Amino acid sequence: MPDTPLISVSALSKHYRGFKRREGILGGIANLFHREYHTVKAVENVNFEIGRGEMVGYIGPNGAGKSTTIKMLTGILVPTSGEILSNGFVPWRQRAAYVKTIGVVFGQRTQLWWDIATIESFRLLRRIYDVSQRDFDERMELFNQVLGLTELLPVPVRKLSLGQRMRCDLAAALLHNPPILFLDEPTIGLDVVAKDHIRQFLRAINQRYKTTVLLTTHDLDDIEELCRRIMIIDRGIVLYDGPLARLKEQFLRTKQIKFILRDGDQSARLAAFERNLPSLAPNGDSGAATLHLERLDEMTCRLRFDRARVSSSDLIRQILAAVEVRDFVIEDEPIEEIIKRIYSGEAAMTPSLVSEVLETERSSAPR
Amino acid sequence: MSATRTLPIPAHKPSLLTSLKIYREFIRIGFVNILAFRLRYYTGIITYLINVTVYYFIWRAVFANATGSIAGFSLPQILTYVSVGWILRSFYWNTIDQEMAYEVIDGKIAMDFIKPVSVQWMWLARAMGESAFRLILLTAPTAIVVALLFPVLPPASKLNFALFLVAAVGSFFIMGALNFIIGTCAIPLTSILALIRAKFWLIELLSGLLIPLNFFPRSLQIVSSLLPFEHIAYTPLQIYLGRLSTTESLKLLGLEYFWVVALILLGHLWWIRATRKITIHGG
Ligand SMILES: Nc1ncnc2c1ncn2[C@@H]1O[C@H](COP(=O)(O)OP(=O)(O)OP(=O)(O)O)[C@@H](O)[C@H]1O
Ligand SMILES: [Mg+2]
Repeated sequence: MPDTPLISVSALSKHYRGFKRREGILGGIANLFHREYHTVKAVENVNFEIGRGEMVGYIGPNGAGKSTTIKMLTGILVPTSGEILSNGFVPWRQRAAYVKTIGVVFGQRTQLWWDIATIESFRLLRRIYDVSQRDFDERMELFNQVLGLTELLPVPVRKLSLGQRMRCDLAAALLHNPPILFLDEPTIGLDVVAKDHIRQFLRAINQRYKTTVLLTTHDLDDIEELCRRIMIIDRGIVLYDGPLARLKEQFLRTKQIKFILRDGDQSARLAAFERNLPSLAPNGDSGAATLHLERLDEMTCRLRFDRARVSSSDLIRQILAAVEVRDFVIEDEPIEEIIKRIYSGEAAMTPSLVSEVLETERSSAPR
Repeated sequence: MSATRTLPIPAHKPSLLTSLKIYREFIRIGFVNILAFRLRYYTGIITYLINVTVYYFIWRAVFANATGSIAGFSLPQILTYVSVGWILRSFYWNTIDQEMAYEVIDGKIAMDFIKPVSVQWMWLARAMGESAFRLILLTAPTAIVVALLFPVLPPASKLNFALFLVAAVGSFFIMGALNFIIGTCAIPLTSILALIRAKFWLIELLSGLLIPLNFFPRSLQIVSSLLPFEHIAYTPLQIYLGRLSTTESLKLLGLEYFWVVALILLGHLWWIRATRKITIHGG
């Protein structure tokens, strides 16, 4: 029997109400008397469940509603409608008790006190969360090892670099060892090494303490390295919720074969192969989307193909017959391409498909 | 998906002692925080000195043609009133409202929401730390310099001085609670600059700091006695000067602390109300 979900969200919506400001002096006066209101549906009828120990990536283009969702989940914002039950609490109604059981990092801003030494912030958090001195020392030791905080502790937060500050913020969010961690763009603006540290750390925490993590990001490497499950939101609506692997399977359109020619003599044979290419496509469909050959440099070629129409083993056989090849790689289309297609609406999912994915997800995903 | 099936990971309720420890830590943070701006305090002493000097000469001029006393104040009394008043102000003053307004516009206020503490007491505790710091670095030096430069009368008696100190603590809380209420207005209104300025002049006037309330028309004095503002400066200063009997002093102190409780409670309710429809900016 699967565990009950730790977080469940149903029919969650958040509408912001704003009014159009008319310009100019007359407009300003008109604004005083009559305001035209409009609503921004930042989050619209969102449903999901997250089980204990899951790490879920929450992605979507700018303005999709990710931060708004996180703010509702952390009790900062009150939903317009819908329900959230997280760790047994209704976040905004039982805020003080609830926030003791969660950790939050907003990549855009710090929760540490700006002007005092970082260690002072940690001491204050220890008090706030009522962490025993022994646990405090033990956890700080762990954070020091993985995040290298030691030399940052005497420095006031305002003097830390972005990456250093993020490490401190992450440690601060986990000082009380919360069962749930919400991260809104935790790797924003970090260099590759810093990103790697943070990812390693999150993985370690998730494994060691079974911490449930929901993170938003624009860096798909975060997702690929950390999350088995992703949710895609756009204009307030969840477009996909399921394993990353399934997303690939469903939306992966093209694959590519990269091959390196053995020597310069292959050029003529390659040209012949290229002329012959349309005949490899099924019944006369010779569109570039189906089969497309590119010379990346003197020796390297890339052949993109529609995986639904052409079989890769056929293609490989053809290539090997045509030219002499030194090296071979078959790759999936990068995940960025898939996401880009979903964001731009090209790969729009029909509502029924969404619910189908959700259904299978609920019944089959490991909790 | 039902509520009953979910097993919450328990968060135990902190005892009173641990919560006190939390806020003590906030007081310390307020104190340490201010250390970074020491310079502001040295210039602060000069600002307060200038203020005392200005009002000293204004009152000297007012009394120049008077014989004896005006509205029950003798010249030495009124000069003491002004000097001690400004010394007192250096202690009870805080800028919770401005800081909150800034945090709302910046969106930083969201970070207060994710901490398991009372936001109101967090601000008050930080202001306490700041006031403790002011007491040492601003109030005490200003008091010494003022006492050396101007003919300040000592408190009427030891008891009066003790009651004055109790009233001064009340001043701090009234000021802090009021500022928290004003600061909370930033949540629905966003820009509260005008409100802060209006409050500033209202308090400078109705607290009795600039002019003792005895100088006001009778009707205004009655209105003022129904409001909390006069307890910020007027009440403690009256007690300091020994212008009231002990029972009267105690009664006023009681009224002052009634306002402390009422304003803190009001602030608490207003905060709950204001944050129900909260919009956080940025992110
Ligand atoms: N305080 C607010 N008042 C009015 N509209 C808002 C407010 N905050 C956000 N919005 C709107 O709500 C929508 C969702 O915003 P949100 O910050 O949740 O997006 P996001 O997915 O986090 O985007 P990003 O990737 O850029 O951070 C946007 O259209 C935004 O303009
Ligand atoms: Mg965002």
